[in-house]
Amino acid sequence: MINRKFRDPARPLAALLAVALAIALTACGSSNDNSNSSSASTSSSSSASDQPGKGKPAVTIGDKNFTEQYVLGELYAQALRAKGYTVKIKSNIGSSEIIDKALTSGKLDFYPEYTGVILSELAHQKQRPSNPDEAYAAAKKFEEGRGYTMLDKTPFFDSDALAVKPDFASKNGLESVADLKKLGKGLKLGAPPEFKTRFEGLIGLQKQYGVNPTFVPLAIGLQYKALDDGKIQAADVFTTDGALQGGKYKILKDPKFIFGFQNVSPIVSQKVLNAQGSGFADTLNAVSAKLTTEAMQKMNAAVDLDKQKPASVAKQFLQANGLS
Amino acid sequence: MSGPPPPVVIPNFGGASKCVTNNDLFCADWVQHNWGSTLQPALLEHLRLTLIAVAIGFVIAFAAAVVARRLRFVEHPFTLVGALLYTIPSIALFQLLVPFTGLTETTVEIALIGYTLLILFRNTLAGFQAVPEDVLEAARGMGLRGREILWRIEVPLALPAIMAGLRIATVTVISLATVAAFIDDEGLGSPIFRAIQSNVFKTELFAAGGLAVALALFADAFLVLVQRLVTPWARRERT
Amino acid sequence: MRPVIDGFPWITDNLSLVFDKTGVHLLIAVLALLISIAIAMPVGVWLGHVHRGGFAAINISNVGRALPSLAVIAILIGVIGLGRNTLIVALVVLAVPVILTNAYVAVDTVDRDVVDAARGMGLRERQILARVELPLGLPLLFAGIRTAAVFVVATVPLGALTGTDGGLGDIIANQASYRLEGVVGAAICVAVLALLIDGLFAAIQRAVTPRGLRGQIDFAAVQTAAASNPQEEGTP
Repeated sequence: MINRKFRDPARPLAALLAVALAIALTACGSSNDNSNSSSASTSSSSSASDQPGKGKPAVTIGDKNFTEQYVLGELYAQALRAKGYTVKIKSNIGSSEIIDKALTSGKLDFYPEYTGVILSELAHQKQRPSNPDEAYAAAKKFEEGRGYTMLDKTPFFDSDALAVKPDFASKNGLESVADLKKLGKGLKLGAPPEFKTRFEGLIGLQKQYGVNPTFVPLAIGLQYKALDDGKIQAADVFTTDGALQGGKYKILKDPKFIFGFQNVSPIVSQKVLNAQGSGFADTLNAVSAKLTTEAMQKMNAAVDLDKQKPASVAKQFLQANGLS
Repeated sequence: MSGPPPPVVIPNFGGASKCVTNNDLFCADWVQHNWGSTLQPALLEHLRLTLIAVAIGFVIAFAAAVVARRLRFVEHPFTLVGALLYTIPSIALFQLLVPFTGLTETTVEIALIGYTLLILFRNTLAGFQAVPEDVLEAARGMGLRGREILWRIEVPLALPAIMAGLRIATVTVISLATVAAFIDDEGLGSPIFRAIQSNVFKTELFAAGGLAVALALFADAFLVLVQRLVTPWARRERT
Repeated sequence: MRPVIDGFPWITDNLSLVFDKTGVHLLIAVLALLISIAIAMPVGVWLGHVHRGGFAAINISNVGRALPSLAVIAILIGVIGLGRNTLIVALVVLAVPVILTNAYVAVDTVDRDVVDAARGMGLRERQILARVELPLGLPLLFAGIRTAAVFVVATVPLGALTGTDGGLGDIIANQASYRLEGVVGAAICVAVLALLIDGLFAAIQRAVTPRGLRGQIDFAAVQTAAASNPQEEGTP
């Protein structure tokens, strides 16, 4: 149509579109290059014979919507890439309820999840396990019942906890979550929106402790600032949060374990596990084994406080531990 | 865990400058350090999201305008659907598509394309409709046929209006694509959301927000320039 | 498909929540709109009256239209911090250009002969503005307010993504608690709200438009796209 002998005034427009598409494709290509180059650089550091992932189908890992999950997603993905697997990361998908849908609908092949959350939010179990191993076994049983499985759990566990400022605690004599009861509705508690409907949240607080505060929904990550600014007096936090280092906040004890036992384990479908071979689980388990509470807290702090990127923090950790 | 715990090496992650740990207003060192790993990829993703949406939106709207130019009854329903899509808030439209196409780039692109249709269709059609009837008559008299008239007479004459439409559509998409990160974690919205989550990290907010603003203004200026280059006659007429 | 269908019964099952959130939504939107009008209208009208600053008025609108809303909110969070006020300031920053430009054009383009005639009849400047220019410019003035109103209602939900109240956006951003049905239901509500606001302002606009000039008033969006055309040609 545009192919004419004489000058065609419509050409500039066609040329413009062509340029636009070319830029689009370049941008597309270069963003792919980024992920490729990071995998290439990590894999080059390991020996060529140690590549069980070569030729295996690509897998997609997802992670949830907070710092520790971004780090975990990068740790597992980069360790797999170092073994030759082709891994795509879909980061910041959302809370357990949302990411579980992505997993069961096949959009994801695996993602790191917390044992207690599986029991209460996905399996909707009322019974509370009394120790981490029991929680892990029960969660694994649930996942296996629906065609998934859980790999080894991490040594660290990260549960929700309620944090207050130390001076507020001493003023009101707060040691345990139960002590919040006397503050009644006057207590403002900040937490992610889903806290409202979870047993490991307001429901457990009300049922087990009779604590019934005014709920202030906050995006994850904003609770420390809200505490500092005095907008809330108690905040839902994660026990491995980097911000908890240094004693700026006091964690209230949870004698009835409403926040459960929350070790992390990758949830993988049986099908993916079979397709990827044994090296897949071995690689992930080797990473999980290194994830102590201190390690996780330091990595979270590097991201949250020092504003480093999860990918670079994960890379440094894997390198230091010979996993890349 | 059974057996002795494995030895774990926790590397020194390098720490951060005082500016970063204090969350001062703007830390150039952080931007410099994270440009290649965070900001530049987000900017390129944003550009790609925008260009794909505008390109596909333009093809659809242009085709519809070509049809509506002859078949007048097409104009009203297409405008109505376009206006409806344009009025629905982006965050709502993204979510309404999620049940069909999931938390994917497809969802994002469909919504973004939806926002370009009205603008591009109306501008293109207005451009066509402004072509004087006697010019078309003359073209027919010269023996040009339908397709030739379209590409050699109507499109060139409609070019200023088409370019004006492309300009508004591009800027609109750049703006809405930042919100898209809520659905699919890419583009300049991604660092914005993460910065808010990371204890309201100001430097990243300014850097990513500033890049989005700069991209929109730059795209606007760039398209004005292109508009002048492809329609030099339009300028000559005025001066 | 199912969640979309389920979105409708979800709305009826959760009416009090929906009303509650819609109330907050409208409160924030109305506050932002009123402040924007209070700032932009006098400036635009005055500039139009003295026929000065047209270049600036039009370009402010062009730049304002180009500002990505989330980016503006992000930058303001960096400056003022989190909270409802930040959201309102952001909405004002984004709504002012539209209202200002329309107010300017509305008054600036009133037939000069009519204004001169009024002046000849001995009307003072203030009276000219109040009795001639404003009534004649009213339809265009309202077009700007209408565009801004739809825009503000559509942008309030971003508050929920940026750590403050977002009206119905609170539900959209909290799939964990309200499930996909709730998210879809709230999204439907936001869409309907935007269309209702558009319709409401269309009715007001129609009421203030002299009978002879009432052509077709469709969606605000259609008018914006149409209005921007001559405007584009006008900017050098």
